Amino acid sequence: MKYNLELIKNKRKIISFSTFLILLSLLGILYSTFNTSYKKPINLGMDFVGGNELRIERVCEEECSNVSPDLVLENLREISINKNFINNIKLQFQNNNKLISIRTPYLSIEESNNLITNLDNIIGPLNYESKDSRLIGPKLGKRLLTNCVTSLLVSLFAISLYITIRFDKKYALFALLALFHDLLIVFGIFSWLGIILSVEVNTLFAVSLLTIAGYSVNDTVVIFDRIRENLKSKEEGYNETIQLSVNESFRRTTFTSITTLIPLLSIILFGSYSLFWFSLALSSGIIVGSYSSILLAPSLLLKD
Amino acid sequence: MKRRQGWLFFIIFLLTLSIYLLINYPLQLGLDLQGGSQLTLQIIKEEGKVTRDELEAVNSVIDKRVNNLGVSESNLQTLGGDQLILELPGEQNPLVASRVLGKTALLEFRIQKEGTSKDLKTLQLQRLSIKELIEQYSFEEKNQNNDNFLKVIQDDLKDIEQELNYSSTSNDLYGMLIEIKKYVDKEITNLFIKTDLSGKDLINAGRRQEQTNSNWEVLLTFSNSGGEKFAEITKSIAGSNQLLAIILDGESISEASVGNQFASTGITGGSATISGNFSAENAKELEVQLKGGSLPLPIEIVETNTIGALLGSKNILKSLYAAISGLIFVGIFMIFNYRILGFVSVLSLVLYGFFNLALYSLIPVTLTLPGISGLILSIGMAVDANILIFERIREELYDGNTLTRSIDSGFQRANSSIVDGHITTLLSCFVLFLLGTNFVKGFAATLGIGVLISLFTSLNCSKTILRFFTTYQSLRQKYLYLPKNNFSN
Repeated sequence: MKYNLELIKNKRKIISFSTFLILLSLLGILYSTFNTSYKKPINLGMDFVGGNELRIERVCEEECSNVSPDLVLENLREISINKNFINNIKLQFQNNNKLISIRTPYLSIEESNNLITNLDNIIGPLNYESKDSRLIGPKLGKRLLTNCVTSLLVSLFAISLYITIRFDKKYALFALLALFHDLLIVFGIFSWLGIILSVEVNTLFAVSLLTIAGYSVNDTVVIFDRIRENLKSKEEGYNETIQLSVNESFRRTTFTSITTLIPLLSIILFGSYSLFWFSLALSSGIIVGSYSSILLAPSLLLKD
Repeated sequence: MKRRQGWLFFIIFLLTLSIYLLINYPLQLGLDLQGGSQLTLQIIKEEGKVTRDELEAVNSVIDKRVNNLGVSESNLQTLGGDQLILELPGEQNPLVASRVLGKTALLEFRIQKEGTSKDLKTLQLQRLSIKELIEQYSFEEKNQNNDNFLKVIQDDLKDIEQELNYSSTSNDLYGMLIEIKKYVDKEITNLFIKTDLSGKDLINAGRRQEQTNSNWEVLLTFSNSGGEKFAEITKSIAGSNQLLAIILDGESISEASVGNQFASTGITGGSATISGNFSAENAKELEVQLKGGSLPLPIEIVETNTIGALLGSKNILKSLYAAISGLIFVGIFMIFNYRILGFVSVLSLVLYGFFNLALYSLIPVTLTLPGISGLILSIGMAVDANILIFERIREELYDGNTLTRSIDSGFQRANSSIVDGHITTLLSCFVLFLLGTNFVKGFAATLGIGVLISLFTSLNCSKTILRFFTTYQSLRQKYLYLPKNNFSN
């Protein structure tokens, strides 16, 4: 089973497609920065802005009764001492009204406990064993954001350095171009997700970007290795050798992506909800990463 | 051949060792898997960085307080130079811990300035009425009474503000009440002069119920020099109308006069009691704080995570499903595409799993949700190396080489790509681990360990197992290595 990707013929198409994806991502980022309520390139989640997130299940005999979130909020407003946060509270029911999920601005542990007690009075009884509560102060949020951005920059720098030492300039440049292409597109996907579905990004998103960076470079390196090896030994022309090398490593790259996507898919399907968007970010990064390693990076190497 | 058999025994030995380790040293589960609370405490310093000594000092005070609180199996560790992380496993309410740990607990003994009796009396009265207003407010709010009551409270508060000649800046009523109370506390503290007796002079603290009513009081025991200072101070004001105030974190919790009978020696015996209408809970909290000493720098609780035990066990189950289904499907994919080679990679994946888990229990790595996702993700990366090798082997076979030669050169030629790829991933893990939060560290650790182990399992274990298989003549048929439809071309 030989593969025959016509890289030379389709160079222009591939580059236009990538340019289109990049522009789409940039559009999402710009739209998100200027036209949303949060005015950020991406919808920053609680980890970065601070706040209180609470998920708790109700104890119901058979099915949980249907309660309107507005009614709960109204009741909360009446019995809460600190009125301030009630105005910014987001409340949802999930899992057939069983699971209550609440987001508020930052609360102290005491206030958060009061909130739960009040909830118990309104729509209880609640199952405290199923509680999942996170309180993050705004100060820590800022710090986490700086930490994440620094980690990203430092590791991008380290990877760039490694690649530059390991390959000659041209290869290094294109491998890095492919890498930034991947990261930008994943970032853009989540900008759009934030605009359309109000998906928020947390620390784990930064982690996924870092992992994607390592992974994408890995894929590109394997293909470039093959190109270098073949350029030394094969008699064919430069462009043909590149195309041949890509076809030779095509199976390997797609297979590797598939074997990495399978576990990620099982996390998406069976894993805990807190890992859902994380796995999705990784999956999209791996898909974009294999595309750029197989098609984009080698196309950039081709001579006109 | 001999050398390979040596490897085979070594791998079997490692497997046995791993299983032994896993049985005898069970894995440590993080709070998101077993349920519990995690508090992040941030040390606040206005200028400059928190030094190592300061961090140690704060750590030791917090540690004492945690121990005196009597929470079981708690775990306290420092993070990043100016943070502490406290883990409380199980269904322990973080509320009490947060109240006790968050306070600086700076205890001072102060003497009233001369000629301020009248001022103090007014302020004490105002403090009392504010306290009453706050109680009233909480009561009205809880019982959902109408706005008239709130209006009354508001008017009362206005009167007090006028008396104090101070106007609050908060925009809700509760905030105003708290602000005024703080202001009054500060004014009262200002009427007293510092002495050299402080919380540092304590050697112990205790509590007991008062005999006359149900309130509690807190007992202080001074060190020798502290006892002397206390006697000195009480002697100086005995019989006068100056009061002795005990001040905790800037708020006076007790003002008392010293009787004339102590004028010659002061209060000796090296102990004192604070009776300020403590409830049993409050008394215990103050006792714990005083026993631990005051914090050299104030701290703030910046993060609290609480996970119910039921949710924790659900998370374990979900992760288990994800990991096992991931393994099975990757296995099916590999066997389908690579036949015997695929089977070899499944075996080395199983080894990979055991080695990983054994290392977690050995190091030890606390397993968390992000950690598990790192492990599951690294399954894919571990297979990656196998795929690289197998593809090379297949190419060699297509080129008409013998099986043994193909296997040898397949492993050899894939080597450099594998090492390169692993290094870039390791770089990311390393940075994540250095700069990441606790949460991220779990992921970086498992992914990093996984990548390292996969170098061993995919290069060495796969090779050894494959060599072992090929010693059997019946397993050396080429079609077992290449799918049939492709074999024809």
